[in-house]
Amino acid sequence: MKRQLPFALVFLFGIFMLFQYFVPHEKSEWVYEFLLDWVVVIGIFALALGIWSLFRVSVDKIKLRKENYGYSYITLAGLFVMVAFGFTHRVAEPWGLYFVWIILSLLCLASLMQLRASTNSGQKKKYLASALIFLVLAIIVAIYDDAWKFYFYTAEGLENSMFRAFFDYILIPILSTMFALLAFFIASAAYRAFRARNVLATLLLIAALVVMLRFCPWIQSGDTAWVSKASNWLMNVPNLAGQRAIVVGIGLGIVATALKIILGIERGYMGKG
Amino acid sequence: MKKAPIIIMALVTALFVLSWIFKAISFQGTEEHFILSGFKYTLAAFLTLAIFSFLYRDNPFYKFAEHLFVGVSAAFWMTMGFWSTIVGNLIPRVSEDLSHFFEVPYEPASRNLFYFIPVFLGILLLMRLSSKYGWLSRWPLAFIVGTTAGFNFVRYLRSDFINQISATFIPLLVDWHGIGHFFSNLSLSSVGQLVTILSNLVLFLGVFCGLIYFFFSKEHKGAFGAASRVGIWILMITFGASFGYTVMGRISLLVGRLTFLFKDWLELIS
Amino acid sequence: MRNKLLLILCLLLVLGGAPTWAQEIDPLDTTAAVDSVALSSPAPVSMVQAKDKGNDHGHAVVISWELSADDSYGDKSVIQYEVFLWKPFLYDTIQTLRDRVGTAKAHLIAHDDDSRDWKKEFRRAQKEFDEIMKGLTEAHAAYPEGGEFVNVGKVPCGENSFKHIGSKGNESGTYLPDYTDFYYRVDAVTANSEIRSQSEIIGPVQCYGQWFNTGRNPVLAAVLIFGFLTLFFVKRARKGSKLYVRPIGGIEAVDDAIGRATEMGRPILYVMGLGTAADVATIASFTILGRVAKQVAEYQTQLIVPTYDPIVMSVGQEVVKSSYMDAGRADAYDKDIVFFVTQSQFAYVAAVNGIMLRDRPATCIYMGKFFAESLLLAETGSMAGSIQISGTDEVAQIPFFIVACDYTLIGEELYAASAYLGREPVLLGSLKAQDYAKAILLIFAVLGLVAANLDFNVFTELFHVTN
Repeated sequence: MKRQLPFALVFLFGIFMLFQYFVPHEKSEWVYEFLLDWVVVIGIFALALGIWSLFRVSVDKIKLRKENYGYSYITLAGLFVMVAFGFTHRVAEPWGLYFVWIILSLLCLASLMQLRASTNSGQKKKYLASALIFLVLAIIVAIYDDAWKFYFYTAEGLENSMFRAFFDYILIPILSTMFALLAFFIASAAYRAFRARNVLATLLLIAALVVMLRFCPWIQSGDTAWVSKASNWLMNVPNLAGQRAIVVGIGLGIVATALKIILGIERGYMGKG
Repeated sequence: MKKAPIIIMALVTALFVLSWIFKAISFQGTEEHFILSGFKYTLAAFLTLAIFSFLYRDNPFYKFAEHLFVGVSAAFWMTMGFWSTIVGNLIPRVSEDLSHFFEVPYEPASRNLFYFIPVFLGILLLMRLSSKYGWLSRWPLAFIVGTTAGFNFVRYLRSDFINQISATFIPLLVDWHGIGHFFSNLSLSSVGQLVTILSNLVLFLGVFCGLIYFFFSKEHKGAFGAASRVGIWILMITFGASFGYTVMGRISLLVGRLTFLFKDWLELIS
Repeated sequence: MRNKLLLILCLLLVLGGAPTWAQEIDPLDTTAAVDSVALSSPAPVSMVQAKDKGNDHGHAVVISWELSADDSYGDKSVIQYEVFLWKPFLYDTIQTLRDRVGTAKAHLIAHDDDSRDWKKEFRRAQKEFDEIMKGLTEAHAAYPEGGEFVNVGKVPCGENSFKHIGSKGNESGTYLPDYTDFYYRVDAVTANSEIRSQSEIIGPVQCYGQWFNTGRNPVLAAVLIFGFLTLFFVKRARKGSKLYVRPIGGIEAVDDAIGRATEMGRPILYVMGLGTAADVATIASFTILGRVAKQVAEYQTQLIVPTYDPIVMSVGQEVVKSSYMDAGRADAYDKDIVFFVTQSQFAYVAAVNGIMLRDRPATCIYMGKFFAESLLLAETGSMAGSIQISGTDEVAQIPFFIVACDYTLIGEELYAASAYLGREPVLLGSLKAQDYAKAILLIFAVLGLVAANLDFNVFTELFHVTN
């Protein structure tokens, strides 16, 4: 049961999805949409599993005093604050007490982490006591300052402006800068390709250069217009041929693996235990 | 502790505070809260530079930005997942009271108690945390893998196999009116008959040789080996073209980031 | 004198008015002739047919006709065709109720009006709506009593069919119920929309869903052929027949790289990319991870597997654990070998890059689905001085891996490597099936090329998947 039932389920759902493709009837479509919805819902539960893993790895890093463990506090603080902003919503001005509540909760969390990380009982007691104090204070502030709600996402969209601010001024700058790093990396990658002295790397480089030249404004007209034409030809003919060959190969690889999964021939992903 | 890191840290802190003050001053008189706005812009610029500093080498500022990013983004996705999927899609289909509590439109037409099954499967997935009942988490996994394997099987067979076969059905003799006509109208124009015929031939042979390269159970020797070699050349040209095509897009991303630093933060360009 | 003047005046009047009078009665005058013709209607469409759309989930009817004789031609030129469906007046009540449900719902969400119990109103309106919908089929069957023709769509001149595709949900205004008698009419309309001709009324016609989509027959044939080939070769592999697999650079490199890491006493970083556990590339990656983990366990090297997706993490843990058990080193297994980072693309990259620079892995292996982050990872890995092996089925990312990594498995090679490195030789059977499928494709491509050049469309149509 532990091992065979999952493979039976894989077979059952795999075969259903396969046949469903050929059955356009409303009933089959209904089940199909239903199953795809299920996959999404399960994914959210999995996210909780992931968050727990991140939490545990960070706390263990602190506990074992691993290299750079101090930065794990930043990860955990970011995680907690963003969750707090994501699930609570300030309904009135000013925001003062709300932030006090957040800071008290953070201190409580930090004490709990120290409690887990500490080894001797004297320290443990100290951290337990401070965690309790911060918790009580946080609860008192939350009760006293009743101008906040437990949820924030309504028909109008995101409501907690701090959540939005964290997104706009922390997530977006880092995200777009990471993305922008690609411009430097693509240059160093091109340099690496230059140095590789074999036929294949040279072909790759020449094709890349021809296509890049297309974007140069002074190439588009006059005597050098042929570069632009050559680049277009390269994109539309050999490039298309290569793409097609790769796509067919990948498609067949996916199809074969999917079939092996459905038939229970490929079982590596399920582990053994 | 060495002196250099302390000096750098102090310098960065001083610059941060300075930037905060200047940005706050520049926001004075606007509708926004000037101290908070100054802080937000300075923080965004600091994080941008912290990530860029990675190009030099790993350093405490990069580590700070990285760890903050990991924590905040993990929470962001979890929060969004909860509100959009659980509250947005699941709750309106299972409970009217919960829908009203979360202020989401209740959908009586699609109300279905079968939606408790994925909730149950999701809980089983959490069993992974238990060493005794961890095996139960294979059920939801089996469901997900089976469903998507069946889904992928037919769809890829259609898009990457059948559709690709019919896409290779191209006429080689384009606009053919006999050999005399062909030679009398011979030109190197990119839309001319000769170039079109040659292009179609290259396209067909390219696909043919490219596929030969992907044969695994046959030794690549003799004519087969030669075709396979041509195949990998075509593939390399494809990768080169794709590489060249992406470069420009990436440079525009960098320009976007530099614009933030020099325009929005430092206000050096207008 | 006075009489004379009067006479002249009368004569002038008669002469002046004569042309006007003459114009009115001139039977040869062309302008008058055109006006009288324009007022008559164009030729109506003929042979109107209506039938269920077919190969779909129902709720759709196809109406076809033979073009009007005046289609985009002549003085009475038809510029478009309008399709009308007979609808019972019950639809007005339905729409009112639909609006009531919508309003109640909106108030319930917005909490903007406490003057009424909107929850109650919502339930009542919804109940009434459900009740009245039950009588819809019956109302349609009562044709022609209690209803009228309503415009449901139009097509420009020259087109001789119209697909009336309705919504399947009755909450939508375009809902078209299945197994219900419909009556249609097609109007040929001139530039002056007042001037039109109606066709005869066609009906009753019903729409319904099908249980098999014949438009997808080519896919079914491919499923059967490919399924047969795979089963056949897997069976042969099971019987022990030897199977040749050509050397693939990246596969051999995996073994060497693990040895190198052991010698250097540095860890191996295994990145599974951004795919979910359901992505086939990720599943292929699990198989390779299994093999890597087994060797790592045998050599007692450190393995680091940061993951992007929590389910991938969960499965990865299971796979690595099994491999350690296989290698007889269950005691050395640590749950945190495979861990979750975050489900944000660039945050994940930032973290993995950090690991590369701090832990300096001897080998970085990237297998699975990768997007824009591929180059960020591979370039950082190469800055950190690691040997890098990659494999992905994302066509756009392969060039970056080729440039920055020491070995790259191109597209299908990833699946071949997975089959090759997998624990069971039967997995290789499918490689043979894939090769046969490619051979079939090549044969068809050559035949199709000949057919296309000879305008032999029957052959090319065989591969045409509709819908």
